[in-house]
Amino acid sequence: MTEAPKPPSLRPGLVPGVLSILAMLLVWTLASQLTDRPQTLPAPWEVAARIMRLGASGELWFNAGMTLFRVVASFALAMAAGMALGLWMGRSRGADQWLNPGLIILLNVPALVVIVLCYIWIGLNETAAILAVALNKIPVVTVMIREGTRALRPDLDDMARAFRMRPWARLRHVVLPQLAPHVAASARAGISLIWKIVLVVEFLGRSNGVGFKIHLLFSSFDVEGVLAWALAFVAVMLAIDLILLRPWESRANRWRQDAA
Amino acid sequence: MRLELEAKSFGPRQVLGPLTLSVARGERLAILGPSGIGKSTLLRILAGLDAGYRGQLDSADRLAVVFQEPVLLPWRDAIANIAIPTGRDAATARDWLAQVGLAGHETKFPRQLSLGQQRRLALARAFAAGPDILLMDEPFASLDAGTAARMLALTDALLDRSGAGLVLVTHDPAEAAALKAHALHLTGDPARLQKD
Repeated sequence: MTEAPKPPSLRPGLVPGVLSILAMLLVWTLASQLTDRPQTLPAPWEVAARIMRLGASGELWFNAGMTLFRVVASFALAMAAGMALGLWMGRSRGADQWLNPGLIILLNVPALVVIVLCYIWIGLNETAAILAVALNKIPVVTVMIREGTRALRPDLDDMARAFRMRPWARLRHVVLPQLAPHVAASARAGISLIWKIVLVVEFLGRSNGVGFKIHLLFSSFDVEGVLAWALAFVAVMLAIDLILLRPWESRANRWRQDAA
Repeated sequence: MRLELEAKSFGPRQVLGPLTLSVARGERLAILGPSGIGKSTLLRILAGLDAGYRGQLDSADRLAVVFQEPVLLPWRDAIANIAIPTGRDAATARDWLAQVGLAGHETKFPRQLSLGQQRRLALARAFAAGPDILLMDEPFASLDAGTAARMLALTDALLDRSGAGLVLVTHDPAEAAALKAHALHLTGDPARLQKD
């Protein structure tokens, strides 16, 4: 706090980041011009123009919105269930021993199997879609939170017990701040995994969303369309990372940074 | 509060033998002994942090503990470090900070405070809880002589003002004397209490 104000967290790495994206665009442009087969590899500006048209027609916003809704719903479900399970398994040896085999099985069942079974058992509806995505993500969150819970500081635990802190206050002020780095890491890893699985879920059994659109374009081998939808949604997810996740992370870690 | 302890063991090794200890508001006790004898274990039993012993603990009193290390919440500022564990409001927390000489440090995080200041914050937190009995585990260890003397004087004054009882665990008889505490020695294997 005593030195000059610290630079905003977005600045470092901005220049190399932008340059590396430009370099990738350059490679793409060269490849598309050299192959000269727009059906297989369209030029970046053709894809950009397609994204513009999709945006102008309103199709982009509706389908990206549906996909985003599924991402947010299954993300929230997976984080809530994963954190509860992880805390429980990290705290109680008995719970860990009983639940660990199931956790390992769930970690190793292919995403596709979970999706297909959910659709068959529950039906081709929104509940099945969101549950299938969440079930793929819950074990990953559980494992990360369980490791964090095992590393909780026993001295702070003693302090909380000695002062008879209420369970809610203990969770909020003693446990969760210690878990914050693990929660942030699993959220970061989770959000990108989840949107990839959401696309598969939409591909297999939904009638809207980015995954459904890619399904249609796949049947006509429309590479330009596939790239347009994919890149547009990558941009949405990057924006969420920059606007929501990063500021929250640096806020949660504020107490680490400004030591005297 | 009153403890009638029959035995306390860690695995096959018995650490504490039969002993009786009682303390009330306004009474000050010091438990002296070399390191490793079981002083901290005894204090943890009194604080209700260790229930794995044979014996009986009767305690209707409000307790507060000052640990060997300050044990603060690193992610909360000084005010919140008093207010959250004790359930007091911010104004009370501010008042206690002033009483231990930490006025002006209200919004600092523990890492921004020196060790001496962190210990005073831990002391303020304990007194803010409004204890009938204050339990202290080597709270003056690893402080330089001057700081330790000021902490002792401060603790003495706050105990006088609040009327709280004290159980102090220490290896240093001088600390017991400075706090006008009745000294008990923990000796033997398994350890028992011995009067002066």
